[in-house]
Amino acid sequence: MTTTPRGADETPAAENLPAGAPLPTGPGSPEPVESSQRRPRRRSSLGRQGIEMFLENRLAVLGLVLIVGLVLFSFVGPLLHRTDQVHTDLANAYVPPGERGYLLGTDGIGYDQLGRLMLGGQTSLIVGLAAGLLATAFGTLWGATAGFLGGWVDAVMMRLVDALLSIPALFLFMLIATIITPTVPMLVLTIAAFAWLNPARMIRGDSIALRSRDFIVAMRGMGGGSARAVRSHIVRNAIGTVIVNATFQIADAILYVAYLSYLGLGVPPPAANWGGMLSSGIGEIYSANWWLVYPPGILIILLVLAFNFVGDGLRDAFEVRLRKR
Amino acid sequence: MSTPVHNTAGPLLSISDLHVTIPQRRGEVTPLRGVNLTLRQGRTLGIVGESGSGKTMTALALMGLLPANGRISRGSIEFDGVDLVSATPKQARRRRGTDLGMIFQDPMTSLNPTMQIGDQIGEGLIVHQRLGRKEARRRAIEILERVGMPRPDRIAADYPHQLSGGMRQRAMIAMALVNHPKLLIADEPTTALDVTTQRQILDLIEDIKEEYDSAAILVTHDLGVVAGRADEVAVMYAGRVVEHAPARELFENPQHQYTRALLAALPERASGSDRLYAIPGMPPSLKEEIAGCPFAPRCHRAQDDCRTGTIAFEDHGAGHRVACLHPGGEEHLGQLSVPAAAAEKQVLAAQSEAPAPETGAAEDVPASAEVVLDVDGISKNYPALGGSVIRRRIGTVSAVNDVTFSVREGETFGLVGESGCGKSTLGRVIAALEQPSEGVIHLDGTDIEGGKGRNSKAVHRSVQLMFQDSAAAMDPRMRVDEILTEPLDIQGVGTAKDRARRVEELIDDVGLAQDSLERYPHEFSGGQLQRIGLARSLALDPRVVVCDEPVSALDVSVQAQVLNQMKDIQAEHRLAYVFISHDLSVVRYMSDRIGVMYLGTMVEQGPAEEVSARPRHPYTRVLIDAVPTVEPDDERERLLVEGELPSAMDPPSGCRFRTRCPFAQEICATAPPVVEMGAEEGEHQVACHFPLPEDGTLPTRVGAAR
Amino acid sequence: MWQYVLRRSGQAFVVILLVTFITFLLLHNLPGGAARSALGLDATQAQIDAYNVQMGYDQPFLVQYAMYLGRLFSGDLGFSFQQNQPVVDLIVQRLPKTMVLSFLAAVVALLIAIPLGVVQATRRGQWPDYLVTSVALLAYATPLFFLGMLLIVLFSQTIPLLPPQAPQGFSVLDILADWPGLILPVVTLAIVTLAAYTRYVRSTMIDNLQENYIRTARAKGMSEGRVVIRHALRNSLFPVISLLGMYIPALFSGALVVEQLFNYPGMGLMFWQATQTRDFPILLATTTIVAIATVVGSLLADIAYAVADPRVRLSGGSE
Repeated sequence: MTTTPRGADETPAAENLPAGAPLPTGPGSPEPVESSQRRPRRRSSLGRQGIEMFLENRLAVLGLVLIVGLVLFSFVGPLLHRTDQVHTDLANAYVPPGERGYLLGTDGIGYDQLGRLMLGGQTSLIVGLAAGLLATAFGTLWGATAGFLGGWVDAVMMRLVDALLSIPALFLFMLIATIITPTVPMLVLTIAAFAWLNPARMIRGDSIALRSRDFIVAMRGMGGGSARAVRSHIVRNAIGTVIVNATFQIADAILYVAYLSYLGLGVPPPAANWGGMLSSGIGEIYSANWWLVYPPGILIILLVLAFNFVGDGLRDAFEVRLRKR
Repeated sequence: MSTPVHNTAGPLLSISDLHVTIPQRRGEVTPLRGVNLTLRQGRTLGIVGESGSGKTMTALALMGLLPANGRISRGSIEFDGVDLVSATPKQARRRRGTDLGMIFQDPMTSLNPTMQIGDQIGEGLIVHQRLGRKEARRRAIEILERVGMPRPDRIAADYPHQLSGGMRQRAMIAMALVNHPKLLIADEPTTALDVTTQRQILDLIEDIKEEYDSAAILVTHDLGVVAGRADEVAVMYAGRVVEHAPARELFENPQHQYTRALLAALPERASGSDRLYAIPGMPPSLKEEIAGCPFAPRCHRAQDDCRTGTIAFEDHGAGHRVACLHPGGEEHLGQLSVPAAAAEKQVLAAQSEAPAPETGAAEDVPASAEVVLDVDGISKNYPALGGSVIRRRIGTVSAVNDVTFSVREGETFGLVGESGCGKSTLGRVIAALEQPSEGVIHLDGTDIEGGKGRNSKAVHRSVQLMFQDSAAAMDPRMRVDEILTEPLDIQGVGTAKDRARRVEELIDDVGLAQDSLERYPHEFSGGQLQRIGLARSLALDPRVVVCDEPVSALDVSVQAQVLNQMKDIQAEHRLAYVFISHDLSVVRYMSDRIGVMYLGTMVEQGPAEEVSARPRHPYTRVLIDAVPTVEPDDERERLLVEGELPSAMDPPSGCRFRTRCPFAQEICATAPPVVEMGAEEGEHQVACHFPLPEDGTLPTRVGAAR
Repeated sequence: MWQYVLRRSGQAFVVILLVTFITFLLLHNLPGGAARSALGLDATQAQIDAYNVQMGYDQPFLVQYAMYLGRLFSGDLGFSFQQNQPVVDLIVQRLPKTMVLSFLAAVVALLIAIPLGVVQATRRGQWPDYLVTSVALLAYATPLFFLGMLLIVLFSQTIPLLPPQAPQGFSVLDILADWPGLILPVVTLAIVTLAAYTRYVRSTMIDNLQENYIRTARAKGMSEGRVVIRHALRNSLFPVISLLGMYIPALFSGALVVEQLFNYPGMGLMFWQATQTRDFPILLATTTIVAIATVVGSLLADIAYAVADPRVRLSGGSE
């Protein structure tokens, strides 16, 4: 392969852009890069641009606010709204909201619904975060190794990923849940054990693309080796993908917990999570006990939405860095 | 060229005071700020300018294809008696593809990849003339034949990726022609093509224009393309037409200081020992208001009155219009470079310009200078992979074949050739990024062993690579100081403090301010990035720098800055350059000696002036003759070739050029030519059975001269 | 192209081997071992020993795997002692029903996603774009069983339009004949992939609309509708074909929930019932078959893509 001749198609300005493309700001940037006066150090200009981009995305900010709100609700809420979530109280079962001092009523065995939502939120958040982060970490390691080593190692590693991916996740989760007894740590491990596949694929693609980039070639031309390529280039450039992916993995893990609970393989009481509360509340959907269904349902939706909004916002924020003005 | 005037009634096209504004996330850009143009029936107008000058935007405004949100904020476009600015979108659409036909720069991406060529051409007939599919296809085949496609019926059923670059551009032209446009707009029609193909395409556009009796606008950054083809030329700068004149008048008697500077910056007019005139600074931002002449901040003749008010676009007689308060000048253009060097210094005074040596950098390298790099019989083959379940080798691509040359200290060796000739592969082998399949490379007398041996670290220290696209060759998430420190880091040079000091020195050496160190690559313009790339390749005090198309992506004025800088630094450090480029005039200007490559082989090498003035290999002659020049009187006999580069997977036997050579005889197919003439180191060598005579005439067996 | 098809098939074969190996490993880690889980808790030691010999579980590991493969490919998927039937009979009966459900859901999802994605791409950054993004995300964020339940309450209780339960016919044709009952399950399942499809169509459309050939089409005077449909959308649809293959596992996972919710007599429901009774032969066999169906499905999607897209079809066989 050799270069193709390129003419003066360096495009700092409005020239040669396809119609409809977002335009860069103009040629010869207004700021005199060649000026001699010293400027204050601008250590984190990329980070700042990214944050600006993120903050301009209203949905992403909303997502962030929601996450913070739900975390406060689940972890700080119980300090303000103390309830007994251990002992059943059958005398006070199915109390409608607002009566007998129960703000959101009680469930079928007398637990305060509001307090239970706070408790359940803790489990949902912890399981989601732990499983999502674990899966991302392992997937990243796997994908980066496969992508960077290449050759038959890559082939073997990726065929294994293909094989695991081709078993629909819920089937596998259910099968495993019948074999082991579900507890919170087991749940985290089970979900993480199969959620790492997508990040692995994505990171592998990224590292293969990075491996052949000119700046890696340039580094090799100076005598740098593979270890350096990974340490100072690949990690730096793939980190965005990893972080964005992690937020989506967290959202998915929260949903998986809900599905497992619904299919009867969730964490047994008195532990609670929103998915479990929703699935046991589903039975009440025909009755008038609406407060057992909609609050947990809405909270799950909000949490999953919030992580997705944040993920989208982060993706834009990371991309901004590579865009030429 | 100069077609008789058909219609004295009035111009076919007249644009006056055209302004285009595009709102952005923050603020707005005004890429066109007062464009004035006229064009009569049957004539060709060349619009030249650098990137950002607004030449493409003018064409798009004319077509009604402004980018989203873009609008014409002032001025008028009158075409064929109709006002285009007030046209409804539907009227504008009806005019596109009928009265107005447009050819775009990159024929690969400008054709729909999943649509057959015939359908893409026929679409215009189906939509505008309501033809049936069959009839449209028949007409498409006809027009493909007209634009010189071999076997047009088969090509009509092909998809773009099955065609070569030149054929794709022919298909684009066919597409623009189907409805017999009154005006044909070609936007950089040959920029993505090789120089021999470029000539074929430009000839075709000219023929077609005459045959269809239409007018044409040729938009290009390449003054040479316009010089031989256009009747009139408009020079654009910062969204304005600054000069508009008949082509000959413009090139013989340029008036606007920008036009003059641009011509002085062309390496083709300079001899190797001249310093090019480099226009200092950069074009202004199109986001802000510009008072006075937009070129004033970079102009060596600018006075106070240039910086205020509006500069009128005045007629200087004979259709020569100029927007300049102090046009022309006593200096002859060729000499502009001498005082200009001083002017450049003045303007750059605030910019910590590197201490440039007083004389031009490329003094003759004494023959006694030490040979730094010795390339001996290098070949590079790649396995061609194929196969279904298991990928296996199905053949060999011979990218470089038995190339020998040497470079001395302080000398530049230019490698020139079209895409696919193997010059970049050779560059990577020299930089020890690839192992040669055969042959040896000696660096200061030591075998570099492809960078794998005991001394690999030393090799990577002494040979550096400078890339065409520095933006891609720098980690976008690293700051410039990290980028410049990286080579020092890898090689373990000095302490952290030493490295920091060295990096400050380097950025100073290439004439950039210290605060550049805290910025990221995307914050720089192309020319600045190339300088940073140069600084990085100098960090380790190398013996040899392999420069792979270092200025090919740059505008002429910026290119001159970078080339000057490279020459200065070479003189200062006694560097040896291997300068790789497809652009013969740049190579000739930069190099002491030139090697010409064709399909992996070195067909000719020798002193730069000698090879370019008296080429002995037919291919070199073809290459030289294909380059368009700005001299309007250039009527020498030209040697042309037809056809395209054969595949390197199965190169022709004997001489690899023989399949396209007009002088080829039987022996050329059987025996590879041996190097002839001065076998001495550094003398003119040619690998041809029938070298051209030294007096520059062409033998009688010429197949395609004019 | 044939090289591509062959290579892709070779990959799929390797993946199927790996899948069977994974299920084989699971079989070996069943509580109480493979025999106990197949025969039930009240089986005697003698029965278990006899079973182990019969299945070759006294042989070395790799031999066991080979025998397992042999049984698998000869159609012997084990025997459900709880149902007192060979598992293969149960699967043959139920797999087509799940495939019909999933296929219909994929088609419905595409039919909704393509126009939505096109509208988003052409109105990028305007309210229709945001609206569709938000609604699609909302649908994605809602647990499927909750969403299905809401649909049931809405369309068969509040407005009694549709039956709340899926058709119960024995054959696929019976089920299709009772189409009103299919509407809610299909729509619910379609929502699983809707957000992903819409997002994909939107982004490929945006990419394609920025391509130079779109500008060429406009320069030829094509109407905006023709530019969007004939040029941009046509080219965006090729990769959507292989996207369909990528989302087969998600569809099957969704089918598990939907079948349970609507009591649809497919593999998912059978699988769910088997988890309740811990009928391991059914669980393992179903998992294996569903995985193989997934591999074959995405292989077919990739081949269809290669046949449809001239860039792949007419390439010399390189990637």
